[in-house]
Amino acid sequence: MLPLANILARKVRAAISVLAVGVGVALFLVLVGLTSMLHEIANRTTNVDAHIMVMPASGPALLLGGGLPADKTEARLRAIPGVREAIPVLCWSLNMAGRDQNAFGIRPGDWRFFAAPDRLVEGRPLEGGFEMLIDTRLQRAGDFRLGQQIERLNHTFTIVGIAREGVAGRVFVPIDTLNECLQQDTRRATFFYVKADGPASVEPVREAVANLKLSAFTLDEYYARLANLLGDMHLVIGAVVIVAGFVCFLVILLTVYTMVVERTHEIGILKGIGASRLQIFGLILAEAGLILAGGILAGFILTVAGRAVILHLQPLWTIDIPPIRFVHAAVLAAVGTLLGALHPALRAARQDPVESLRYE
Amino acid sequence: MQPILITRGLTKVYRSDGVATPALRGVDLAITPGEFVAVMGPSGCGKSTLLYLMGLLDTPTQGTVIIAGADTRGLADGRRTRLRREHIGYVFQRFNLLPTLSAEENVGLALKLRGRPVGSAAREMLAAVGLDDNRRRRPSALSVGEQQRVAIARALVTRPTVLLADEPTGNLDSEASDRVMDLVGRLHRERGQTIVLITHNEQVARRGDRLVRMRDGQLLTD
Repeated sequence: MLPLANILARKVRAAISVLAVGVGVALFLVLVGLTSMLHEIANRTTNVDAHIMVMPASGPALLLGGGLPADKTEARLRAIPGVREAIPVLCWSLNMAGRDQNAFGIRPGDWRFFAAPDRLVEGRPLEGGFEMLIDTRLQRAGDFRLGQQIERLNHTFTIVGIAREGVAGRVFVPIDTLNECLQQDTRRATFFYVKADGPASVEPVREAVANLKLSAFTLDEYYARLANLLGDMHLVIGAVVIVAGFVCFLVILLTVYTMVVERTHEIGILKGIGASRLQIFGLILAEAGLILAGGILAGFILTVAGRAVILHLQPLWTIDIPPIRFVHAAVLAAVGTLLGALHPALRAARQDPVESLRYE
Repeated sequence: MQPILITRGLTKVYRSDGVATPALRGVDLAITPGEFVAVMGPSGCGKSTLLYLMGLLDTPTQGTVIIAGADTRGLADGRRTRLRREHIGYVFQRFNLLPTLSAEENVGLALKLRGRPVGSAAREMLAAVGLDDNRRRRPSALSVGEQQRVAIARALVTRPTVLLADEPTGNLDSEASDRVMDLVGRLHRERGQTIVLITHNEQVARRGDRLVRMRDGQLLTD
């Protein structure tokens, strides 16, 4: 009763404090959600019926361009014992839905390694020529439709198929078409997916590929390499979260401290009518708790709204926030808020009642 | 009859910036159950300090306060708080109602702080002081006389052993002052409430059963 009445008596200040906590909560959740983007890219890139990614010796610095002679490299890979399939991929950047996308140039017959038949939600796989196959995320982002013609690389492509998102690329075109558009004299590839005979063959194949002076990564290793980037991002997010948490703590500390000073006389009254130190302490913490509750709710609302706004502006981004993260955010907010309220609450509890009653 | 509240050699010296200011000098006073004692004296004579010490809101430099047989000398803050809750009702000069609560909530708060259910007690006490119709109003919507009556209701709802009133009419006009003192007198008569009231007003002081005069931190007459 009294904590709520006191909060409502200072609506603007309470609202600012609630907002401060809410922004901290939302910042944490949205940043955590944004890290899922790398996971999503890593998941898609390794969501292929293959075991190994083979790249030029320089490694996966840039998955773009035709660094490898496709036919020659394929022949060398197929010659390795244990290799069942060598799948060339030529990547090139295409601007789709306002954003540069890594288009995957593949042989139409290799589509089976990238997606099961039921993955196609509309149309058909590539057959050749100036055809394009996109995923549903890109379709929604660019409002593309089956049969639509798109001008790219000075040519007109027709969208012949739409696959459910989760395939390695958002855009697929025939590799020969892409080579032609890029005016390559010979068929080029950016990297290869290699499918081994079985799990037991993966390591020997990888070693053999390394002997060809090429870089070879199992799909798990490639995922881990991307995850390392994620590790760096976690450090950045951690730093931002700490700063946001500290700002929350400071706002709460200042707000509650001001509340206690303003209500010095009132605290004297409460002690005069029988309140104990513990009750005064609890009262101040209860008020901070109400701000915390409001802040967490505001934070969750800001998170949902912020996510919606970001995805509206950047529909190809991924912001997945696991439910447990909402719990983490609430706990972090609680720790920051209660730490911020602790000193003022102790100060209030220890106030001399006579001095407080005399305070104007 | 055994006194319900006793002060023995009660002394209070305030120290600030190395300067010692004696506010009370060895006050001995005994209050028996059902008594209405008026303590009178000029400003600065130590009346309020005496009341703060009797109400266990402050600790003496020397001497002690014995309430309901419990010697409060050296008691920890928690024990003093419990004694204050159990035995003391306090009416402040400036009413000191919580502005964010209604009259009924202000009265009920005294019970809640003691862990007692409020029930209809707050409303009944407000009715006893003639403010049942205004129970939902906040202090800002009440006259000064009404606010003081709410403060009296708050002090008495817990049925304290002793009601301590610090200049309860100090901020009231004569009409409101008469109404408040009529109320205090009625409660004293009807409930046998023990009351210690400090005032600088002779007319108010005469309402008591006993008049105690103070000057310069000492009792002059008892």
